[in-house]
Amino acid sequence: MKRIEVKLALPIVAPLLDVIRELADGLKKNLAAPLALTDLDPEFADAWTGELLSAQNDDVHALLGLFDDEFFREGVVAFDEDNAESIVRACAAVRLRLRERYLKPLGDESLETGDVDMTTLDEPLRKAFTCYLFLATVQELIIQHLDSSILES
Amino acid sequence: MSDEHEQTSPSTHAVTELRLEGVWRVVVLNDPVNLMSYVVLVFKKVFGFDEQTARKHMLEVHEQGRSIVWSGLREKAEAYAFTLQQWHLTAILEPDETH
Repeated sequence: MKRIEVKLALPIVAPLLDVIRELADGLKKNLAAPLALTDLDPEFADAWTGELLSAQNDDVHALLGLFDDEFFREGVVAFDEDNAESIVRACAAVRLRLRERYLKPLGDESLETGDVDMTTLDEPLRKAFTCYLFLATVQELIIQHLDSSILES
Repeated sequence: MSDEHEQTSPSTHAVTELRLEGVWRVVVLNDPVNLMSYVVLVFKKVFGFDEQTARKHMLEVHEQGRSIVWSGLREKAEAYAFTLQQWHLTAILEPDETH
């Protein structure tokens, strides 16, 4: 099984986990990307939303599971073909939630390009944007090294 | 408990049937958050696109704000929209007026 281990800087990443956990709570009851289909039968839409929320929560649980005792001891997280798909999706969900909750003042163009002067941001916004970049890095790592596992699963 | 289907008039039922018939497009809309590489991965995974086709659609989404990624029967279009939603991409369905 292909597996990648990544050593993270604990003093930088550990504080971001509070942000991720807070957003994970919000994702228990809210879809990261609201349903855009407006002409669905209401009962059908409710059933969809329930299934999507359940899958979203499983994904977020897998993401939070990365930060276990080993992470706090060694600063290491591991991705493999069992967790790659869930984690890459969970990162997308949390990043979308970060935009809704914290990052709208930065503007969509800045979020797309990542071109933000961090020194001008206050602490909560800087922490949220750092988290946004961190999760993008996790996604890039997984896509770069494990995309064939995801495509074949 | 009442049954909504029994209360639906034949004319309403016919209009609904007609509306859901025909060819429907699955359209993916741009968002400022999801990475280009992630969108390419999702297109390859969900639609089985090769790298070049997936990139073409991703760039359409990025540059034009939307891309038609599939068209066909409503039921299957809804299934694709559901799967795209699982991957946190925003998708809408549109009737294909050319058919």
